[in-house]
Amino acid sequence: MSLRTVVQAIEDAAASTKTGYRFVDETNDAEPFFTHAGVERQSARFGGALQALGAKKGDRVALILPDNTDFVFAFLGAIRAGIVPVPIYPPTGLGKLAGYLENTLHIVDKSGAKLCLTSTEIKRMLGSVQAKAPRLEKVVAVETLRAAREELRPVKVDLDDVAFLQFTSGSTSRPKGVVLTHGNLAANVRAIMEQGLAARDGVDSGVSWLPLYHDMGLIGFVIAPLYHRNTVTFLPPLLFLKRPVRWLETLTRHRGSISFGPNFAYALCVKRIRESEMEGLDLSSWRIAGCGAEPIRAENLRAFADKFRSVGFSDRAFVSCYGMAESTLAIAFSRAGAGVKTDVVLGESLWSKGLAEAAPPPAVTPRPAIPPATPSASAAPSVPAVDEGKGERGAVVGGRDPNNTTEGPPERPSTIEIVQCGPAFDGHEVRAFAVDDDDSAHPLGDRQVGELRLRGPSVMRGYFDDDELTRLAFPGGWLRTGDLGYLADGNVHICGRSKEVIIVNGRNYYPQDLEWEAGTVPGVRRGNVIAFGTMKPHNDRERVVLVFETAVVDPAEHIRLKGEVRKAVQQSVGLTVDDVVAVASGVLPKTSSGKLQRAKTREAYENGILLGRSSAREVDRLEVLKELAKSQIGYFRHALVGSRDEE
Amino acid sequence: MTWTRDSVRTELLKVFRRHAEDGADVTEGSRLVADLGIDSLGVMEVIADLEDKFHLHIPDEALREVDTIRDVATAVESRLQNDGRLEG
Repeated sequence: MSLRTVVQAIEDAAASTKTGYRFVDETNDAEPFFTHAGVERQSARFGGALQALGAKKGDRVALILPDNTDFVFAFLGAIRAGIVPVPIYPPTGLGKLAGYLENTLHIVDKSGAKLCLTSTEIKRMLGSVQAKAPRLEKVVAVETLRAAREELRPVKVDLDDVAFLQFTSGSTSRPKGVVLTHGNLAANVRAIMEQGLAARDGVDSGVSWLPLYHDMGLIGFVIAPLYHRNTVTFLPPLLFLKRPVRWLETLTRHRGSISFGPNFAYALCVKRIRESEMEGLDLSSWRIAGCGAEPIRAENLRAFADKFRSVGFSDRAFVSCYGMAESTLAIAFSRAGAGVKTDVVLGESLWSKGLAEAAPPPAVTPRPAIPPATPSASAAPSVPAVDEGKGERGAVVGGRDPNNTTEGPPERPSTIEIVQCGPAFDGHEVRAFAVDDDDSAHPLGDRQVGELRLRGPSVMRGYFDDDELTRLAFPGGWLRTGDLGYLADGNVHICGRSKEVIIVNGRNYYPQDLEWEAGTVPGVRRGNVIAFGTMKPHNDRERVVLVFETAVVDPAEHIRLKGEVRKAVQQSVGLTVDDVVAVASGVLPKTSSGKLQRAKTREAYENGILLGRSSAREVDRLEVLKELAKSQIGYFRHALVGSRDEE
Repeated sequence: MTWTRDSVRTELLKVFRRHAEDGADVTEGSRLVADLGIDSLGVMEVIADLEDKFHLHIPDEALREVDTIRDVATAVESRLQNDGRLEG
């Protein structure tokens, strides 16, 4: 079939009276179900109501809607009217409204939104936004639209028309508006559903607790299933965080076959779901367990499979995913039905030559990743994931001799295990380039590490109203991903974010590897370790700094711990850390999604404020709030109480 | 079951001691993140425990101003009171 617009997909799906969307409510057992015919009607009402409010084709409408049902119908209604929705996540209620408002104002203003549709509660908070965004004409409470009866006036919508704006975080910049057309969406949905997942029309059934303001939840579970008439059951994101078992119960109850989560979600299930809660679970229908949106650690997924195999979960359900908002959603998926595949490479070649050389079949296996001395560490995966950036990876340094305490390279070769994310989708290309190859003139060879770049029909047209950023994003017509990685037999592998690589004596180290090793030392808070390189204070060479959080307060113990950390890194990676810093819990800055902020930590370190116990976070409060608002997925990770970010 | 302010606080301290990192001093004035080392995911876990313990629903909005254990106590008590399950 030729590519269709989202509008066409909604209309085509309306023929189905058996499939549709189901919305789980936390507080009661009601699960309202809307057939695809009902979805067509409900979205038409919202679209008509928006038209009645004066919105026309091409106008932007900001959506700040905490309720999944409101969001879905308002979003689809706007699209059917040719109006361009701009999803913004709701205030997190951290009591720090100023930062949220500032960020929301930026998005509203940048997008030139004419209308903002929100809840009555949130509308009260948005007074200043309305006052400061000159093009924003009205803030409308969604409650008044729920019963709207205006007819949708048909609007011609083509594949080249803009479907919506996806505002996304930049690590150093304000949110950028990714412009997605119907053609982008149709191309990416086809790649995901047909090639990636081999989805069965009308048969596969999705379950999602992912926030709808984020690409994985919105495109993966609201838009894509429309094209293939798949039923989807939505749970509130915070319900999953509170009671992870509800995710698996919902999969059980509705025989879900497709569900996705970031790495941390699988780890959370392992950590939080009790044996007693597993009674009655049946995950045998779950054929696609997608993992994406943050770096993947293979051992977390293995632990999930180990735990839930007894209730029918299949290892083969895992699909490792690589993607970014600028590519609509997905860039590459590992082969459905194959489970987690990893590539074990020699650390030495990777760090010194930028070459992912396959390790010889192990006399020393890369697993267990953790030396036997600390078996408990591998049984308790860290949550949340520590890696920053969009790349998906699972790097494990192993095969070392714990007794080797000498300086210099370890005696046995270190190996790194990297998760394979499959090939680029049909009609799309992914290649690695030298980071400074500004024209994308010389693609690197197989297994050569470089910046991954992408082109194809899923790639955005550009950033909304920002020609300069758009120009920088497309060297030689390829989209920069900012991820370092390589291709092996056409399969994509991610090593880390290009900005974070630590270069010492011409060797490239990925901070994740150092952090992971430091995290194995008892007394160090796993998942709360940051490594970075700095040219300060002497500006002569890059120095390696490793900062870890610890509950230990005794100074003598600190000294001992630091020694242990230094030794752990030395032994596994063969790198001498110049400075090891111990800080109290909660000092390391994190993004809204709980990812450690390496750049921010480095800055604090360079400015000498990291050790001023009142903490980096104090200093960064506003910055952090901006981060929070930038990262849409952050909403559900740090939506509550005294979030680490906010302390 | 009915509760008193004292028994609510005793129970809260017990729950938070279970979730706080080793060596943390758990008092009513303890801040969840800075003093107890509980991260945001940990907070959700605590909330689930409290809901089970006190048989009530703590909506997300109720937690927006929470910083210390005392704040959590207030949120719990006001709900118990509404249900007529708080004495004194």
